[in-house]
Amino acid sequence: MTFEIDYLALAPELVVAGTIIAALLLDLFLTRSKKYWVAVLSVVGVAGGLVPIVYMLAEGGTRSMFDGSYVVDEFALILKIVFLVSGYLVLLMSVSYIEADRYYQGEYYFLLLSSILGSLVMSSSRDLIVLFIGLELTTGPLFLLAGWRKGDAKSNEASLKFFILGVLSTAILLYGMSLLFGLTGSVEFTAIAAAIPDLVSEPALALSVLFLIVGFAFKASAVPFHFWAPDTYEGAPTPVAAYLSVNSKAAGFVAMLIVMYTALPGISEVWAPALWVLAALSMTVGNLSALRQGNIVRLLAYSSIAQAGFMLVPFAAAAVAGSDLAQAFSATVVYLVIYALMNLGAFAVVIAGARRTGSGDIDDWAGLGQKDPVLGLLTALFFLSLAGIPPLAGWYAKFVMFASVIEAGGISTLVLAAIAAVNSVIAFYYYARVIKAVWLDTPSEELLARPGREYAGSIKLTLAISMGLTIAIGIYPTFATYFGEASRVIATGGG
Amino acid sequence: MTVDAWIAEPVNWVFSIVAVVILFTAVRVVTSPNVVHAALYLVAALAGSAVMFLLLSAEFVALVLVLVYIGAVLVLFLFGIMITRAPTGFDEGLSNDRKLVSAAISLVLLGVLSWASLSAFGTDTVNTVGSPTATEILGDAILGRFVIPFEVVSFILLSALIGGITVARRDLTPLEEEERKAV
Amino acid sequence: MPYDVGSLMLLNQFLVLGAALFSIGVYGLLVRRNAVLVLLSVELMLNAVNINLIAFESALVTNAAVGQVFSIFVITVAAAEVGFGLAIILMIFRNRRSANVDELDLMRW
Repeated sequence: MTFEIDYLALAPELVVAGTIIAALLLDLFLTRSKKYWVAVLSVVGVAGGLVPIVYMLAEGGTRSMFDGSYVVDEFALILKIVFLVSGYLVLLMSVSYIEADRYYQGEYYFLLLSSILGSLVMSSSRDLIVLFIGLELTTGPLFLLAGWRKGDAKSNEASLKFFILGVLSTAILLYGMSLLFGLTGSVEFTAIAAAIPDLVSEPALALSVLFLIVGFAFKASAVPFHFWAPDTYEGAPTPVAAYLSVNSKAAGFVAMLIVMYTALPGISEVWAPALWVLAALSMTVGNLSALRQGNIVRLLAYSSIAQAGFMLVPFAAAAVAGSDLAQAFSATVVYLVIYALMNLGAFAVVIAGARRTGSGDIDDWAGLGQKDPVLGLLTALFFLSLAGIPPLAGWYAKFVMFASVIEAGGISTLVLAAIAAVNSVIAFYYYARVIKAVWLDTPSEELLARPGREYAGSIKLTLAISMGLTIAIGIYPTFATYFGEASRVIATGGG
Repeated sequence: MTVDAWIAEPVNWVFSIVAVVILFTAVRVVTSPNVVHAALYLVAALAGSAVMFLLLSAEFVALVLVLVYIGAVLVLFLFGIMITRAPTGFDEGLSNDRKLVSAAISLVLLGVLSWASLSAFGTDTVNTVGSPTATEILGDAILGRFVIPFEVVSFILLSALIGGITVARRDLTPLEEEERKAV
Repeated sequence: MPYDVGSLMLLNQFLVLGAALFSIGVYGLLVRRNAVLVLLSVELMLNAVNINLIAFESALVTNAAVGQVFSIFVITVAAAEVGFGLAIILMIFRNRRSANVDELDLMRW
């Protein structure tokens, strides 16, 4: 049997794969002081991957390969844009951070690019095997990147915890997949979806769905499978933590939604309550734990757990209420796009702020606004956006979420909306605490005495891009709505 | 199929014997007080699984399991154990003291999983004819229908290789680096 | 060798064996303190997945031998994971002279 390969549909992956190889080769010929050229190449390559995506979006239509196991529809393209743009921002914020210490630079970019390639493959997968391999390539290199500060015991610990939980979740996920394959006789999502109605009463099917959810929840660090995340984020190099909190979290999260939506819609009575519980717990536990954090990276780690809970709300609500899942899907994607931008901005602020204050403790950031007003303003901007204050992008994410929940209707949905509302208030409190420290607290003499250092151009560019987009989406949300609308294509054309 | 008919069949004797070996060695993997022994028990458990694959006519996978797992991965494990100088003698400190709770959890898990699969597949039988699955089919599938995951998996291996070397190697101290530059 | 053994072996005898291996792996994961031993337990769990996949393939006989292909991918990924894991364990051992998981307590869980 022969298969047609559509090279245009694979072009983004091919560009990134070519960049990976080129980066490896280039790294061989560079002396240590010239290693930043690998970063330049990576950034250009990732941006180059966007070109065919934009072309395909303009052209429209769905491209399906290999018996429908690899599908490039608008939903997949939107996700690829999210993964490439956030990967681009993480690469930018890495440059000065990685250069400053004696890290292995070439290998760092190689591993980060490999992980980006994995998430690109994952977004097109409509088949258990491709999905599993894509997810594995997304997380595998990150086990090592989390431990990249080799001499630092905390970084070592971050790496080992992440690794053990990562392989455990893979094993659980695979066991669920093997049961699903055995029950339905197929690995393609469309074929699985077609076989589900005859199997609904099987306990083994419910069990395999639960295994899948647990496996994905570990990767997406949803409560109660989140306990590795704060430690790993704190110990990992900060750009890697930013990547973990956006790309790798989104990869696990999106993989779960793709499977539930395209392969298992026939058995939503099993997974809908499970997602409901995951969403409610993630929001509540994430926010309550964030209240107690003194370290800014840990605070962002818990906040990203809570934000993932918010992201899950529309989907869980619609599934529980039995209403239109496509609507919920687009709300979730809008939230994801906005979250990616503002969270990466917040991490870039953390990197810049840690350089300025020499510390990751919120108390040490007191009075940063007096020392460095621009950075202070940016801190306020991104944290207010995360809290959902208009006219920054975060408010629109929350608005879309609540709108979609209210559309879904039903008692359990309203309970979830109430939990989300209470949590938004709690979240505002700890985001505001950071802003208060930066602007209202008196700076320590030590901070004022520190010499003012110029920031690297790359980190300024990261901040500028994420700031521009955060403000632009907040004022002109139609831009984000486009992403949501386009992502609905999975409902009709996908698979 | 009656129990008598099941027992009367020589294939099932082979299955039973190998299954007992696999289960015994698997239990020893997680209980052995000696790290090297645990790794060697895993070799036995995997070899048993390879026999099972042969019974199920998955000849090629059985060979891959022996070559890749027993031949390469387990050797890697033994290297890891030797290099980290993990206590190779008997050591009761390798397990924590949550044994009873953990055993209860895994027994419940076993019960639930077996109950689910018994109710789903009842007395279904495996449909293998004595001749093994042609390796040709596997090759066609891997390089045709599954060529994308096949290519992607090579990036996983590449990143394990390069990243693994970078992380595991001993860094030169600044002094040693100076010396190396001088030479 | 056209010898039909198919109707004589139950699918469930393999599945229950797989379930048992998976549960034993979970037990190992819960009780073992040494990182290498935790990794060995995970290998047991992945092997349970392989037995499931091969048994299902043998019962279903898909036209591309999907179950066997899947298990080859699982074996490959497991090998890569051992590579990741041993590199991390070696790095930690260099710094701490210990490979015990629960001595990693710099940060509370």
